[in-house]
Amino acid sequence: MFHWLEKNPFFFAVGVFLVIAYAGIVTILPDFMESARPLKGTKPYTTLQIAGRQVYINNSCNACHSQLIRPFKSETDRYGKYSLSGEYAYDRPFLWGSRRTGPDLHRVGNYRTTDWHENHMLDPAAVVPGSIMPKYGFMFKKSADLETAYAEAYTVKKVFNVPYDKPGMPKLGSYDEAKKAAYKEAGKIVAGMKNQDVKDAYKNGDIKEIVALIAYLNGLK
Amino acid sequence: MQSSNAINYDYTIAKCFTVATIVLGIVGMLVGVIIAFQLAFPELSNLAGEYGTFGRLRPLHTDAVAFGFTASGIFATWYYVGQRVLKVSMAESKFLMFIGRLHFWIYILTVAAVVVSLLMGITTSKEYAEFEWPIDIAIVVLWVLWGVSIFGLIGIRRERVLYISVWYYIATFLGVAMLYLFNNMEVPTYFIAGMGKWYHSVSMYAGSNDAMVQWWYGHNAVAFVFTVPIIAMIYYFLPKESGQPIFSYKLSLLSFWGLMFVYLWAGGHHLLYSTVPDWVQTMGSIFSIILILPSWGSAINMLLTMKGEWGQLKENPLVKFYVLASTFYMLSTLEGPIQAIKSVNALAHFTDWIPGHVHDGTLGWVGFMIIGAIFHMAPRMFRREIYSKKLVEAQFWLQTTGIVMYFTSMWIAGITQGMMWRATDQYGNLAYSFIDTVEVLHPYWTLRAVGGLFFLIGVFMWAYNIYKTATSSRAIEKEPQYASPMA
Amino acid sequence: MDMELIRSLQGWGYVAMIFGLTIGFYAYIYHLYKSQRDGTKDYEKYSNMALNDDLSDSLVEEKYPQDNKKDNEER
Repeated sequence: MFHWLEKNPFFFAVGVFLVIAYAGIVTILPDFMESARPLKGTKPYTTLQIAGRQVYINNSCNACHSQLIRPFKSETDRYGKYSLSGEYAYDRPFLWGSRRTGPDLHRVGNYRTTDWHENHMLDPAAVVPGSIMPKYGFMFKKSADLETAYAEAYTVKKVFNVPYDKPGMPKLGSYDEAKKAAYKEAGKIVAGMKNQDVKDAYKNGDIKEIVALIAYLNGLK
Repeated sequence: MQSSNAINYDYTIAKCFTVATIVLGIVGMLVGVIIAFQLAFPELSNLAGEYGTFGRLRPLHTDAVAFGFTASGIFATWYYVGQRVLKVSMAESKFLMFIGRLHFWIYILTVAAVVVSLLMGITTSKEYAEFEWPIDIAIVVLWVLWGVSIFGLIGIRRERVLYISVWYYIATFLGVAMLYLFNNMEVPTYFIAGMGKWYHSVSMYAGSNDAMVQWWYGHNAVAFVFTVPIIAMIYYFLPKESGQPIFSYKLSLLSFWGLMFVYLWAGGHHLLYSTVPDWVQTMGSIFSIILILPSWGSAINMLLTMKGEWGQLKENPLVKFYVLASTFYMLSTLEGPIQAIKSVNALAHFTDWIPGHVHDGTLGWVGFMIIGAIFHMAPRMFRREIYSKKLVEAQFWLQTTGIVMYFTSMWIAGITQGMMWRATDQYGNLAYSFIDTVEVLHPYWTLRAVGGLFFLIGVFMWAYNIYKTATSSRAIEKEPQYASPMA
Repeated sequence: MDMELIRSLQGWGYVAMIFGLTIGFYAYIYHLYKSQRDGTKDYEKYSNMALNDDLSDSLVEEKYPQDNKKDNEER
């Protein structure tokens, strides 16, 4: 039997495939039978937060910042309560990261403010002496992409039944409604910022990337 | 026997991919050196606005070396080794030549799209699977083309039994196909919502599930891009260059099945102490340790192939590349399982020890093997001697020094930072703020960047040597049987 | 299917893998060394496929022995 396999490339390939697929079938597949269950109180992201999350992803913040607090005292002391699976139920994709060049951000909303982020993103080393993080001044100039953010929220609602518009959950509605809500949400953040260009742009109906990013980071709790 | 002299092996496609290997190797490692210096000297991050930040460049580095340098190295060696061990020439089939060319050009276009999109920040954020759906489709197409070319060539072979290297190439093809498809399941948002960026997509999986699929992929991408095809290379190039048959062909078959059985179960070790089920984590740990056996089976088999022939190490620098590659393979396949032990992982995870481990494998094992393979192929593809033996020697020692600097500094950096994160003072409070643990790494990061620079300089020496070999070295009349001729 | 059933299937799948792997693997080792000793199959000769890989080198094992005989006669 073994030697037959060695001279029949087709069946050999089938054999190899079965062997390597088997692990995935047993370990990975069953867990998709039950979709990730959110914790009580875990809510999907608002449109503005999704826009901020996309800024986070576009700049691969996850290359240096983890979003996973492991159950060790040294980590809970530093970053807060350890992470639970249900908290990530609406994270598509997950953003755990693999290298903590900078600190963990899973609960950064608990201990950093809009004001802190504004100063820090402009010049990290001025806020944290010795910081090696790049400056992100360009986020104060580029506009957040609410359309793509809405498209993402709409897609997860339609395809994956993410509970937007359900009682006690964020409202999504039509694009115009979502845009209005995002504008209102952004207003609170802009009010806490100093940068005049960002404020002026906001008055003209333009939300900058930095505003969306801060909305996302403040929501990480 | 004489009649087959009319046809020769056709290396057109192999040559194309050799050029791609060299160019993408330079690009990927140059970006790697830049981001390594950015960590040590952060002002370098601010030179090119959003396009020069560490975050934008890091995926470009990993993807350019994994799917640029390594993948084209795999393709180049396949289009060389495949013909030879199956004893059939590409020139015998017009169809396969066409598929080969198509494969190459679609690959080049895809690479160009990847470089542009990653610089623009178009990414799905999943490590080694950052490409958005249009590029994913292109990758599927070129992968299928490679499959057609593998099985097409096998279909017209003369040799009845497949050589062990071909086994490994087939496994690479199947493994990457399966992993890539499942990890990149995503829904394009534009087609559902009718607005936003057309190339944007959202992952099919959420949260912990997404993490499980990603690291099942991430871990096994390492298996099927950095391990399996590289073993395919060493099983051909080391015996051929040294003129020694494999120490035990049976052992090579056993290690093959061992590797296939065990590797896929070990992905959980990337998620220790995370929120995925406990049994997945424990199983990941256990299988990582079992994985030492098949890995060392191959490595020891390679080293024993040189039994009684160690003198060649003095005379032939290419053998040095192969032997050091096997040694680094042993080192990193021992280091990996150690890091997968839960208590060690608690310290090592999220630190520089992990990139340190990856680079033992990629620089020492993958890099040396591909460099050595192309040195071996060059005189046969171009019918000329290798341009300079001295340069090969110098490159070998420079790069070896670079790798040693790289991994020693990263070991120290990783363990230092891991210990500092958990250090407490006499009252049980954390002893260091996060930034303390960053500042302390500066000397190690500098050393690492210099080590990487040494390796990059070596790659430039290699590129120059191959270029000179192809264009102006002394011609050889007859193809050398074993050791590659060099001036 | 409820989750409990899936979990137990998973467990059995895992056990099957361990046993299958162990038995298959030792059977393979036995097969390799037995056929070598009996002389039915000389596995070690296949390593020559890398060493004598020129188009004009003789094949280790011909794919279609009959066809090649014909070829040889034509030559």
